Amino acid sequence: MSKNEKLLHEQKEKVAELQKRKIIEVQNVSMRFRLTDDKIMSLKEFVTRKLSGKYKTSEFWALKDVSFDVYRGEVVGIIGHNGAGKSTILKVISGILKPTEGSVTCSGNIVPMLELGSGFDHDLTGRENIFLNGAILGYTEDFLKSKYDEIVAFSELGEFIDVPIRNYSSGMLMRLAFSIATVVNPQILIVDEILAVGDANFQEKSRKRMLELMSGGTTVLFVSHSLEQIREMCDRVVWIEHGQVQTVGETKEVCDAYES
Amino acid sequence: MSKTQQGFSTRELKKIFSIVFVAYIVLAVAFYFLAGEQLRYRDSRGNIEMPVANAATVELTAGSVVEQQFTPKIQIFEHISVQWSVFNRVNHGTVNVQLVNTATQEALLDQNLQADQITEGQVTTFDFPALETVYNEPLALRITSPDAVAGDALTPMMKTDASLENGQLYINGQAVDGELAFSATGRDYIWTGLHYWQFAAAGAVILAALLLLLLHKHKTGKKSFILNAMIALRRYRFLIKQLVDRDFKAKYKRSILGVFWSFLNPLLNMIVQYVVFSNMFKFDIPYFPVYLLCGNVVFNYFSEACGMALTSIVGNADLIKKVYVPKYIYPLTRIMSSLINMLISLIPLAAVAIFSGLLPNKTYFLLPFPLFCLALFCLGLGMLLASAMVFFRDIQFLWGVLTTIWMYLTPIFYPITALPETIQSVVKMNPLYFYVTFLRSCVIDGLSPEPFMYVQCALIALGMLAVGAFTFKKSQDNFVLYL
Repeated sequence: MSKNEKLLHEQKEKVAELQKRKIIEVQNVSMRFRLTDDKIMSLKEFVTRKLSGKYKTSEFWALKDVSFDVYRGEVVGIIGHNGAGKSTILKVISGILKPTEGSVTCSGNIVPMLELGSGFDHDLTGRENIFLNGAILGYTEDFLKSKYDEIVAFSELGEFIDVPIRNYSSGMLMRLAFSIATVVNPQILIVDEILAVGDANFQEKSRKRMLELMSGGTTVLFVSHSLEQIREMCDRVVWIEHGQVQTVGETKEVCDAYES
Repeated sequence: MSKTQQGFSTRELKKIFSIVFVAYIVLAVAFYFLAGEQLRYRDSRGNIEMPVANAATVELTAGSVVEQQFTPKIQIFEHISVQWSVFNRVNHGTVNVQLVNTATQEALLDQNLQADQITEGQVTTFDFPALETVYNEPLALRITSPDAVAGDALTPMMKTDASLENGQLYINGQAVDGELAFSATGRDYIWTGLHYWQFAAAGAVILAALLLLLLHKHKTGKKSFILNAMIALRRYRFLIKQLVDRDFKAKYKRSILGVFWSFLNPLLNMIVQYVVFSNMFKFDIPYFPVYLLCGNVVFNYFSEACGMALTSIVGNADLIKKVYVPKYIYPLTRIMSSLINMLISLIPLAAVAIFSGLLPNKTYFLLPFPLFCLALFCLGLGMLLASAMVFFRDIQFLWGVLTTIWMYLTPIFYPITALPETIQSVVKMNPLYFYVTFLRSCVIDGLSPEPFMYVQCALIALGMLAVGAFTFKKSQDNFVLYL
């Protein structure tokens, strides 16, 4: 076997290996939002405008033909200026938005940490909310029961856990939400800015927990404005600008290019 | 530890499918006994009802003859009744009532009555032991008196401005306009009921084939709608349970009486309606409180479930924008939490029924069927409303108006027979009419409705569900853009 053939063979094997490890595949994703001059929210208005021919929409492409892959165990950062479409791509990947064109394939369960505490019911107690919020995040009953003590301990709520959460301070709420969201070891973790909540003490603790999660072998998609964090954590970086992928590559190269 | 559960193993599927199959057989057999006679017979569509009499025929002295000819389309002829007028006095003599088949001259009935036993407006009923030979035969009901004298004789009554199809009234041999105040009733056979076991067996074969097909699809790894739905149901079972729990707790959390409201609400409604309507109209409905409560239970569930489903997507906007959960979960849980409420309100219904002297009967076991169909109907409509609500927020107000109209078009506090024919046919297109009638038939009459009613209830529910689910599926991807 010649040297060239051997190299080619190795290359092929490498590609096949990568293919096997592919966990998220974003293919030509475009996302169009339809903007009306002002949102029509009533049937009456819709009918009258339609009849008088004043019903106009304009289009806005938040993402255009975005493609990239993420492999198992990777930490991928997404950078870009405000309004570039970073959060939109995260929402598309986590299934909240359905892309207008293209497709996203994920082989693994996703835990999106986009906003904490969505789905809390303020009339229920902390305990009831742990189960409600956990169910919304897709945890099973057995899992929540076994992790219940851990969640309560981490949130440092103590006896307040049996109080309706409308009586909680905002710090307590965030602590509870954070503890529920980070109790899992998901296959894919989607993080929109590292969350640090609560007082200085808890902030330190939550930052540590986040880093622990992100370095624990799970696949992470990570949006941040802090290039420092990106450089520190990520294996690869996707740079998105005006809804389009500018560059995908090694952290150092892309970050250097972005900063210059 | 696995955080989420995925597909089923073959063993699990086999177990579930065997349970489904055995449950089908048990239900099919149980239904045969619960439905009882109503499965095989129904009140004949050819029944001749007693008209409201407005005149006397002729004083029935010796020699006078009142004869009503008619051709009953009744498969099992059972009763014939005649209404008398006695001119507000005590009469004497004998009255002879004959029923003759004029084609064969066979006498089906020949009975003498004593005139002095009969009071004003009395209805005399003659029973036949299941007469099956007179379907579409020309019959004559002949009323004579061998010995009565004028001034001391009674008269059969009649309605002058009515006429019987295929019938003719003769007074002393003279054909006259009008109809004798009489009724002829019986039952018809129901073809499907007579062949119940064949149908049940065919159902079993189809079910078995379907289950085997699903099992095969599972083994070969093919996708199928039912398997996917089963997986989703198991995967989101915990979430559904939590959301239902939340709705239920949230509803009563800050009220002193708590769940007790689910008891009180229909009862208070019923009392108000009873006080108002029992004095205002003279409908003469037996067990009026139970009648009202049946209507209220069904309608309250309908309006509550649909009202809650209506806001299910808009109300959960925060969640939908931040976490992916299949969106049908939201209307589904709303329907389920109001279903629990409705089941609780069945307790006061049963209590009032027992208090009014209606003992629980075996047809109570049939009630899950209409209630389940009603829930499916509400789910379909709820999904339709929820998706419409996302795009047009004024649907909420339209729906408010619509429920009021809908309420008046549902026979909650009036009997459907109190309406003119044309409006009756409109009301009979109202899906709730079927569910209310089914419930009343079980609770008040203790009888299963005829088999056709089951088909109607199920088809209406499935039809609405299909429409709702289709619109919902088509529009759900756009929800998040409009929230």
